[in-house]
Amino acid sequence: MIALTTPYLWYATRATGIVALLLFTGVVMLGTLVANRVGGTFIGRFEVNEVHRSLSIVAVVFLLLHIITTILDSFVSTGVLASVIPLTSSYKRVPVALGTVAFDLILAVWISSLLKLRLKNQTWRFIHWFSWLAYAISLMHVYTTGTDTHQGIGTLLVLGCAIVVALAGVWRFLGRPTRAAGRTALSPLATPPVPPRPRLPDSVPRDLPRPRVPEDFPKSPPRPPSSRGRR
Amino acid sequence: MGVIRRAGMFVLQVNPILCDGFGHCAELAPELVHLDEWGYPIIASDPVPMADVGSYQSARYAERGCPRQALHVAKVATPVPITNVDVRPPTTVSRGRRPL
Repeated sequence: MIALTTPYLWYATRATGIVALLLFTGVVMLGTLVANRVGGTFIGRFEVNEVHRSLSIVAVVFLLLHIITTILDSFVSTGVLASVIPLTSSYKRVPVALGTVAFDLILAVWISSLLKLRLKNQTWRFIHWFSWLAYAISLMHVYTTGTDTHQGIGTLLVLGCAIVVALAGVWRFLGRPTRAAGRTALSPLATPPVPPRPRLPDSVPRDLPRPRVPEDFPKSPPRPPSSRGRR
Repeated sequence: MGVIRRAGMFVLQVNPILCDGFGHCAELAPELVHLDEWGYPIIASDPVPMADVGSYQSARYAERGCPRQALHVAKVATPVPITNVDVRPPTTVSRGRRPL
């Protein structure tokens, strides 16, 4: 096949690798935003979550493209096995193995998220922590394997992604809200409690006045001074 | 085109142990969920008819969108008598509602 002997597959591998790196950086950042409960004002919290989920699918697609083009490409000889089993590539054995390990971890995170409604939430969360490890390993893979990451804009890109995700990790650790903090009446999401309207049988006319919050309903207590800490 | 009438009722239930008050449910199903002043959901325990397709769809979105999977859409096969309006004692017990 002609296509396998032209350098275009090799270029596609390099390009999709860089794009996948950028997309996964975005996915990790958005996941941190969800976990640290950003949103509720100009953007809904659920919207951040949805963007996180959707972008992760795009990122996985680019990662699959990156892997498939690498396998098909004849410029370097990596086998099909090397995409799943580490240390089976004849080209750059250890650097490619780093990418393989990262891919396996990402697969675990991805499949567990697809099965999220069928898993225990604790299980899903435990597997989801692997994404940080996968990101760190994939950064090492990018730096050690990458053809474009040793000079100029490529190095800056990798460095920028590393710094951004490292900061996101620090913020994830330090800025996480406690179980009940961040959701006082000061929180943008909090609304005054409205008693739910009782559901009436059909014999009762529907246009009854909505129950109102009494005027002397107790106001929310002041926010405690130490509202941050471990969950 | 005929109108599909959905039979039965559903209840959106929250597991208060799993809930961490992310507040996604109040955004996804505002007609079913109110937040208390700490951000935890208050959900009416009365069954909602399945024919209220909008509410049912919202409930399913909230179930899917909960970061802690604390929500559960329980299907109630038989309508439960409304005790706060009806003076008669409840005669039927709803099936399909799991104790939390």
